[in-house]
Amino acid sequence: MTVTNIVHTAGAPIGTPASPDTALACSTQGLSVAYRAEPVLRSVDFAVPQGVVMGIVGPNGAGKSTLIKAMLGLVRPLTGASEFFGQPLARTRKRVGYMPQSTSVDWDFPTTVLDVVTMGTYGSLGWIRRPGKRERARAVAALEQTGIPDLASRQIGELSGGQRQRVFLARTLVQAPDLYFMDEPFQGIDAKSQQAIVSVLHTLREQGKTVVIVHHDLATVRDYCDHVTLLNRRVVASGPADESFTCENIRTAYEVTAGDDAFLEFAS
Amino acid sequence: MSLIEFLGNHTYRMVFFGTMTIGLVAGALGSFAYLRKQSLISDVISHAALPGTLLAFLTAVVVLGADGRNMIALIIGAVIVGTLAVLFANGVTRVSKIRIDTAMAVSLTVFFGGGMLLMRIIANGAFPGKGGIQDYLFGNASVITIADLTTSITVGALALALMLVFWKEFALHTFDPDHSTVLGFRARTIDTLMFATIVIATVIGVKAVGLVLMVAFVVTPPAAARQWTRTLPGMVALSGLFGAVGSGVGAYLSIVLGRVPTGPLIVLTLFAIFLVSLLFSPRRSIITRAISRTRARAALKRELLLASAPAEGALR
Repeated sequence: MTVTNIVHTAGAPIGTPASPDTALACSTQGLSVAYRAEPVLRSVDFAVPQGVVMGIVGPNGAGKSTLIKAMLGLVRPLTGASEFFGQPLARTRKRVGYMPQSTSVDWDFPTTVLDVVTMGTYGSLGWIRRPGKRERARAVAALEQTGIPDLASRQIGELSGGQRQRVFLARTLVQAPDLYFMDEPFQGIDAKSQQAIVSVLHTLREQGKTVVIVHHDLATVRDYCDHVTLLNRRVVASGPADESFTCENIRTAYEVTAGDDAFLEFAS
Repeated sequence: MSLIEFLGNHTYRMVFFGTMTIGLVAGALGSFAYLRKQSLISDVISHAALPGTLLAFLTAVVVLGADGRNMIALIIGAVIVGTLAVLFANGVTRVSKIRIDTAMAVSLTVFFGGGMLLMRIIANGAFPGKGGIQDYLFGNASVITIADLTTSITVGALALALMLVFWKEFALHTFDPDHSTVLGFRARTIDTLMFATIVIATVIGVKAVGLVLMVAFVVTPPAAARQWTRTLPGMVALSGLFGAVGSGVGAYLSIVLGRVPTGPLIVLTLFAIFLVSLLFSPRRSIITRAISRTRARAALKRELLLASAPAEGALR
């Protein structure tokens, strides 16, 4: 990436503050992932400018979660590398937060809501050092932000689907990252939790944070996302919603024929 | 025999405290294996520890000319071969489509079979101090020496210390390994540390309770403790306590009943604790759960019937 950096800055007129690359919250180039021999992602180029809410949209099995996981080093890519704020993840970890699907953990784990949210502070603590009063205070603040401070001492096994998502969101917020990856945050939740999460999204946008959301509900894509990436094992379209989230692109991503347009009314 | 009489006897005291140490360490460390749903790894380790201890015995006797029943040698042999067995099981699942439970069973039986063969070879050969190696199968707590007890306590304390130092990382990684990785904690490092503790928790009981039943020390106390607790520290502490108490009581009973192997009696005591926990724990008791579920269903049924009744009346 350094090479492109130099090219851009060299070509830019004097006084232009930053090269285009540092204005990216994250980017990946030529990313391919295969489970065993079956390809899930093929040469994906993906870039998210800072300060936008980017939706990753596509049908089931399109590799939406895999894209996030591969970028974050949770799945080993076959080819391609990712950068966060112009640097490899190892250097910028503290600025990157990840909210996995809530179904990815066992909620029968013997622990309380506050303890789970406090785990979001572990990255800044590093090895061995224990969380103290300050970390717990931050966790309480994050719970207030997601509207569930009264659940702090609740056993996590007793939470509803929406409350679980809000706990995971709080755990990500407590880390205070600049870039958020959220995998299906609206999956299986009640209206109240949805509202709480949306209000957090708005706050994050106002603060100039960058959010990448894996989202599968086409009807609400335009409500939450400024930018959209349509994905189906490869990138169909990516960019500002007005340009990328079009009937034609949705059709291509979802592999539907022209006559079958019932669900395309949400498109730009 | 009264408890005072029991504890006044040197051998009995060794049995009592030796098994309690094993129960405490295995119970506490077993909690993490339980929560990671990897309890059976301990069974693979313990069965593979049989050839491990016997190879250690042969090495000590034939190569070093030392006492083959030395506890440290046994532990080292068990750790090495136990680890190999787990690596073998993991390797099988990685290169083939065979699932981990099958791979573990294959690994467990092949190492155990090899161990039984080695045992026969040793039994037929002229090795000094070979008497008593049959005890490795089911354990013989009455042969625990002060040196063995010291070794058990030292190694066990080391494993517990490891758990306490890396408590935060263990908890984080056990609950959500992906989150832990993204936060910057190398998964392989934590996995290795946790594996080390579970190996120690398993092989620590080689001599006293035997290899075949060792898995019960790692599995049963956490399963019972989970019924009563709501936090991880609570679960680990209670599991350790259950392990220690169950082992103490089992050891006492085995001596009072006379000529009964220690391991099986401890396992039965641990099972009793497990059963009581399953039936009577306040929040997770299977009895109260069944009752409240039946009541809720009955209430729902009444409600649905009442709701549909006026409609039927209107039809008539």
